[in-house]
Amino acid sequence: MSTPVSSPRAIVWQRRRAAVAKIWREFASNKGGLIGLGFLAVIVVLAVLAPVITDESGLDVTKATGGPLRPPSGEFPLGTDVDGRSVLLMTFWGARVSLLVGFSATVLSVLIGTVIGVAAAHFGGWLSALLLRFTDFFLVLPSLVLAIALSAVLPQGISTIILAVGITSWPTTARLVRAQTLTIESLPYIERSKALGGGHLHIVGKHVLPGVMPLVLANTTLVVGNSIIAESTLSFLGVGDPTEVSWGSMLSTALTTGAVTRGAWWYLLPPGLAIVVIVLSFTLVGRALETVLNPRLRGEHS
Amino acid sequence: MTETTGAAAKTPLLRLKDLDVTYSTGGGDVAAVRKVNLSLAAGDTLGVAGESGSGKSTVAMSVLRLLPRSAKVSGEILLDGEDVTTMKWGRLRAVRWGEASVVFQGAMHALNPVRKIGEQIAEPIRVHAEAGKVPPDAEVRARVAELLEQVDLPKSRAGAYPHELSGGQKQRVMIAMALACRPRLIIADEPTTALDVIVQAQVLDLLSALVAEHSIGLIMISHDLSVLASTCARIAVMYDGEVVEERPSAELMSAPRHPHSQALAAAFPTVGDPVSRYAPATATPLPPEPERAVEPGRAPLLSAEDLRVTFRDRNGAKINAVAGVDLDVRHDEIVALVGQSGSGKTTLARTLLGLQKPTSGIVRYDGNPVPMSGAGLKAYRRHVQLVLQDPSSALNPRHTVYEAVAEGPRIHGLEENELAIVTKALESAELRPAEKYFSRLPHELSGGQRQRVVIAGALALEPGMLVADEPVASLDASVRGEILALLLRLRRELGLAALVITHDLGLAWNIADRVAVMYRGELVEVGTVEEVLLDPQHEYTKSLLAALPGGTSVRTAVDR
Repeated sequence: MSTPVSSPRAIVWQRRRAAVAKIWREFASNKGGLIGLGFLAVIVVLAVLAPVITDESGLDVTKATGGPLRPPSGEFPLGTDVDGRSVLLMTFWGARVSLLVGFSATVLSVLIGTVIGVAAAHFGGWLSALLLRFTDFFLVLPSLVLAIALSAVLPQGISTIILAVGITSWPTTARLVRAQTLTIESLPYIERSKALGGGHLHIVGKHVLPGVMPLVLANTTLVVGNSIIAESTLSFLGVGDPTEVSWGSMLSTALTTGAVTRGAWWYLLPPGLAIVVIVLSFTLVGRALETVLNPRLRGEHS
Repeated sequence: MTETTGAAAKTPLLRLKDLDVTYSTGGGDVAAVRKVNLSLAAGDTLGVAGESGSGKSTVAMSVLRLLPRSAKVSGEILLDGEDVTTMKWGRLRAVRWGEASVVFQGAMHALNPVRKIGEQIAEPIRVHAEAGKVPPDAEVRARVAELLEQVDLPKSRAGAYPHELSGGQKQRVMIAMALACRPRLIIADEPTTALDVIVQAQVLDLLSALVAEHSIGLIMISHDLSVLASTCARIAVMYDGEVVEERPSAELMSAPRHPHSQALAAAFPTVGDPVSRYAPATATPLPPEPERAVEPGRAPLLSAEDLRVTFRDRNGAKINAVAGVDLDVRHDEIVALVGQSGSGKTTLARTLLGLQKPTSGIVRYDGNPVPMSGAGLKAYRRHVQLVLQDPSSALNPRHTVYEAVAEGPRIHGLEENELAIVTKALESAELRPAEKYFSRLPHELSGGQRQRVVIAGALALEPGMLVADEPVASLDASVRGEILALLLRLRRELGLAALVITHDLGLAWNIADRVAVMYRGELVEVGTVEEVLLDPQHEYTKSLLAALPGGTSVRTAVDR
């Protein structure tokens, strides 16, 4: 960092590169986080490549080739469902829906949460009180009930699930962002910035957001896991898109078609385990990021 | 090393022989203390002076083995002839507090906020009672009351919680705790750093009296030589882990030998000493006073007219933080605003900068009233700039020096020749060559360099005036002089006026042209430095001057 550079842009980029490298080094020293990241990378790559490496027509009930509820065999490594479709193929494609809903709902929730959190902390006064009560309202609302109600009112489909999950999970982010913004705004460099003539936009954009972003990022990974669970729950309850295969809907069909009573474990385990693995991976990565970015959470002896 | 006469026959209370302390860190071993020899007889007082990082606190904490695990100690620490470094754990526990105790620096953090102070004072008494012989509650309570009396606190305060006490009272509680087990040695680590001058004087008087009364040995650590001189018989100056000079206080204060002791002594000037007037301790010579024609009748650069700021506390009661202040800062002059904490001086400064809306009154800049919002206020802020107390928190830790200095010009849309502006500002703040600092982050700089970056950030807008809130309070002695010299140089070279807020009258004597004394929201005395500090009229100014530890030492030296 001590080599002299004369271009202002180069200085900024050099600093950013160094900061990212430092975060990566610290993250890499956390084994749990690395394992989680490895799993996520594999799952995301497989989900993205699903149309390339598998044949989508296998999901069509009319074109199903296997017999109903066959145990795992050479042709169908994870057996078949009631309609004779490959469970492995369905699990593959279910990942796409889960990840899509997980990420989109998270973007929505973090966006709402960050805007409301920063606004509540930065402006203070009656606006802050209003926003906080608004947040409290959503915080105490049973989110599952709200999501079901929303899905019932809005047309069935993935976008409804994204909206339902997104607008029920932002209050925790808003609270976190507000707390962090208050901490940053009490620091003297904000006062200095004001004395230099900086307005609201300058202070929020240059000082508050860059300071809040790391925590938001760590929080985001945790929200993704929760969103995936919420999506599975809603699909399981039958409010999802019936035409799309998702892990939640697979479990739901398994239950309604009597797979459980017939001892068809190969139908229940793959989507169930998939949910556990992906959520656990996001949690591991999220916790690891949190310890890297928020040193107060680190133990004294680490 | 001077040996106190007669002490050679007896074992001294504390003796450090060739003490070495090394910290093992990620980047290798760091020697914090090197070959330190010190001795202290019962009833004797020793001051340890030095800047941050000189190893003075490490020496003090090693006496009770209170160092972190990464510290390696070698040499002997003889407490009453017994080596602390080889003590068994049980014995060490008995010695801690029983024979030697510590008055910690931050009284606000060293007390448990959820327990009554009486219980906290009683804790060591109970813990150190011999097994099975815990004294009955009535006896403990009586002892606590006795201790509170010794530190001049009413015994009814035993039922108070720490937040109900003032800073000075908390420090007294800390002293009472240190005395609880009748130790023979007290180690006071910067006991008055966070306190006001007047409270500091009271605490120091109390410590001296207790030490003399009970013939307790006292080791006091401070960065301020004048504080040590007023309480300790001898002073040891530490620099870079070594004791560079150890002599009786009066001798050391009047004629320090080691260059570092000289720097420490010069950093806290004696008010009234013509040598230090307009001469802060700096290595580079100051430019001479420029010949500027004084334009008669020119309006003051910044003036406050009957300025009032009223806050409401939790109960809705009105608090007059600033209660009707008239203050002028003229072109080309430095005005020092002095007063205790809580006197409203920071609120006044924030109001002058437009960071706080006045309840009533007007601020004028160059004769025109300052708008309190909108584009007018933004334009005004180009002319009057702020320098904050603690440079480490006044800079965004994520921004490089270049970004920090360029922030002001960017806000005001001066992006065309940004590079030239930043280079010039950094060089005016004496960070040369400027390019070397561009890509540094604040944590890679020393405290003094950080404060220069803050000043450069202010200079980048080419202001007509600086408002500096305790600009050197959190800096080391040697850096202090340099930063003050910078302010004085900026005034002489660029004609930059300044309002310097401080609790330190020595600072005013060093660089200011005029002094305004603030007390409970009002200016009680305004005048030239010589008028106010040498011939104070108001009672409050007199008490401030009397509380200066340097003042007492000078007086006693004359009396002798």
